[in-house]
Amino acid sequence: MSLLGGGIFKGMAVTLRNFVGSYFDKERLTTKEYAWRTDDKLPERAGDYPKEEAEQLSDTTTVTHYSRNFPMLLHDEGEPMDTVRCVACQICERECPPQCIYIEKSKDKMERGGNKAQFYPATFDIDVSVCMSCQICVEVCPFDAIVMNSQFELSTPDRFGGLLLRRDDLLKSNDYYHKIHPEEAAARDKRIADEKAAKEAKKKAAEEAKKKAAEAKAKAEAEAKAKEEAESAEKPAEAPAPTHTDAKKEDNGE
Amino acid sequence: MNWELIGDILLATVPLLVIFPSMFALTTWVERKALARIQNRIGPNKVGVPLTPYGGNLSLFGLGQPAADGIKMLFKENIVPTGADRLFHLLAPILSLIPAMLVLCFLPLEFPWLNGEQNSVKAFMLDGAVIFFFAITGLNTLAVFMAGWASRNKYSLLGGMRAIAQMVSYEIPLVLSAVVVVMIVGSLNAAEIAEAQAGWNWYVFQPWGLAAFVIFFIAALAETNRSPFDLPEAESEIIAGYFTEYSGFKFALFFLGEYIAMFAISGLAVTLFLGAGGGPGVEALPWLKVIWFLAKVCILIGVMIWLRGTLPRLRVDQLMGFAWKFLLPLSILNIFIAGFAWHAKKANEGTAVSVIVWVAALIILYAAAKGLDHVNRAKVKPRTYQYGE
Repeated sequence: MSLLGGGIFKGMAVTLRNFVGSYFDKERLTTKEYAWRTDDKLPERAGDYPKEEAEQLSDTTTVTHYSRNFPMLLHDEGEPMDTVRCVACQICERECPPQCIYIEKSKDKMERGGNKAQFYPATFDIDVSVCMSCQICVEVCPFDAIVMNSQFELSTPDRFGGLLLRRDDLLKSNDYYHKIHPEEAAARDKRIADEKAAKEAKKKAAEEAKKKAAEAKAKAEAEAKAKEEAESAEKPAEAPAPTHTDAKKEDNGE
Repeated sequence: MNWELIGDILLATVPLLVIFPSMFALTTWVERKALARIQNRIGPNKVGVPLTPYGGNLSLFGLGQPAADGIKMLFKENIVPTGADRLFHLLAPILSLIPAMLVLCFLPLEFPWLNGEQNSVKAFMLDGAVIFFFAITGLNTLAVFMAGWASRNKYSLLGGMRAIAQMVSYEIPLVLSAVVVVMIVGSLNAAEIAEAQAGWNWYVFQPWGLAAFVIFFIAALAETNRSPFDLPEAESEIIAGYFTEYSGFKFALFFLGEYIAMFAISGLAVTLFLGAGGGPGVEALPWLKVIWFLAKVCILIGVMIWLRGTLPRLRVDQLMGFAWKFLLPLSILNIFIAGFAWHAKKANEGTAVSVIVWVAALIILYAAAKGLDHVNRAKVKPRTYQYGE
């Protein structure tokens, strides 16, 4: 026999414990308070505010490492446009469900990080008033060039132009990415390094295999020639040179 | 023109129009804060002293929030849906506020600046105040359905229908539980009911009074559409129910009306069961009566907020079943118990028999409630779920 309505009192005890507990135990609070700016300056456009990357960081420290808002473009160490990872392949533009990305491919190619020369984005715009923060662009990018930013202070008095983030607003360093999403960035960097190592190992293995194959072929041919020569000693020898150049041609690059 | 009379009436009514709406403003803030804390959030804490940027350093725990909300509501666009009945769409929020404000007059609030003759109690206190209270608050149902109908919106109409079913059902246990007190006091006059409970003779301390208070409180929650009986405005089911199509100032009026109705019905509960203005030190300092009365109302409102943070919403069939199969039989039984207990107590004043009667009445009521619960529960079978392939 339980007390009639006892469940209600039990529930009320739980809520009372939460009510009182949240005043004494800061760990209970699931949200952190946003640090308000001391000046009441309004931004001109979304990308302008706050201007410095350090300031943006101070905003993003108030959210968790798993928060995401709108995409940003990653660049490696160095001048942003010299080390931008995006090659303007436009996969994200095609995959974007609300079609908020607009990319224009460059006319010329640019070499980055010792890789083969590639295109780069001459224009890369994201309309954050359309973006739905789905992260599909991040999923589909084969170059790890676009990731989610957690910056949320994007209010602007201009609701059209101000909410259109330009390429230069979107460019963020990999260091910044490490600061706002440490675990994710570390995992991504590790994956990139692993992939690179695996590719290199594969390349090496393939080269060696080809070398071996070529050698074996050369050997076999030499043997065959020796045999032939043995059979008809008067016949002149043929050069087996083309095999080596064929092997090099097949060497694959991106 | 009798200027003195007009002055007296103003002295009695203006405080009501000042105290309760300002209590409403504070309650919205308290409710948001309390619910936030229950859910381990912080709640509104930015809006502070007006015109300091971003709350400045004078945010005062977000106490400026009600003012900010009020200003926002006032300046919002007045939107009427196409094809809606413009007149009734406008009339509904007004009609929901007026009865709620009107019944405040019947609460036995004895303001210290009034002498006995021109007391607000005496100014408005009809001999049938309790009946009048229920008659006028019943108008709220009309306003809610009017809002639902005039909005020309399916959700609104559903909300209005639900509200009618709920309010009509819960009106009965509400009135029947109040009948007990009226029967014992022998008067419908709120002032006399308050006087009968002077000196800690609160009816909530009687077994029938306790049962009646619990029934009254539950029915009051349903009557004011408070959680867990907030089906007419169930957000997760029908958007906002009857005020789906209301925004801006009309919504504010609805909101105000709802809260004032909460204060009014809590005030009636305090009058009927919790000794009205009675409390420590009332004999020496009569002005404490108002303070105690309002404090008790605030405690009841606090419990309402607490319940809102605790209980999930009922299903429609559970709601109706609870009113008709549980509260109604129990409140009818309670009337009989109260009659017997009162007579037994009167016949055996001061003897051990009265104590036995007290205990016996409590046991009978509890057993009856438990039995009703058992009978109702027996029909509820565990659900079987069939999953799609």
